[in-house]
Amino acid sequence: MRHEQENSHNERILSPITDVYETGDNYTMLMEMPGVEKEDLNIVLEDESLEVRGTVQAFSPEDLNLKYSDRPAGSYYRKFRIGNDIDRNSINAKLSEGTLTLTLNKAEEVKPKKIEITAH
Amino acid sequence: MVRNTVLNDMFSLGRIVDDFLNTAPERTGRSGYPSVDIFEGSDTIEIRASLPGVTSDDLDIELSEKTVTISGEKKEPAGDFDYLRRERIFGKFTRSVELPYRVEAESIKADLKNGVLHLSLAKSEDAKPKKIEIRQEA
Repeated sequence: MRHEQENSHNERILSPITDVYETGDNYTMLMEMPGVEKEDLNIVLEDESLEVRGTVQAFSPEDLNLKYSDRPAGSYYRKFRIGNDIDRNSINAKLSEGTLTLTLNKAEEVKPKKIEITAH
Repeated sequence: MVRNTVLNDMFSLGRIVDDFLNTAPERTGRSGYPSVDIFEGSDTIEIRASLPGVTSDDLDIELSEKTVTISGEKKEPAGDFDYLRRERIFGKFTRSVELPYRVEAESIKADLKNGVLHLSLAKSEDAKPKKIEIRQEA
């Protein structure tokens, strides 16, 4: 199913393809946003909502005409709901190869703990 | 702030969920992978291909006559983790683009930037129109 909306500039809103996986210590989100520069990324965590925006700078050279296109044109936006089991002060964001990696560390309380067994 | 207890934690398996239902992402490359844009000028061609997550080591570009072929492999990260959501697609790909005219093989420039391949091609000299001199009779 295709998810698209129009914004005020008549530009399409693309929902970035996203993988989320869980390790013992964190949740990692990998979002594909090809063509987005670091400066054009905007990530906001407010209450339980995590909003990610990425603007793509249009390429429209004067001496060239677009003859064929099947790359989706527009900017990226996706909103996620985040549980309260993460440490909101330790979220890391990294952009490489057109993929945004967000690492949401789990709160200390929910991290798996090794329970020591005391021998009697 | 209410912390998840063990009990309600089991209820929220997909702890990171989309706010909208049916928010399937844009699937690129319905007509092939990678998806491409082709810009044409009188003597130059620019191709843009979306290749997020592909490194230059895993990418090959080949020119044969009037066809440019982009091929490679998007490798899946390996590790000890459980997927909560899986939308990215991995594996080998190949896509050929037919050019409107022959290009100089030596002039091809390829840059991979922010997950987008930029290919710049220049028209080959023998494909350019030639002005034919008319000899005057002596």
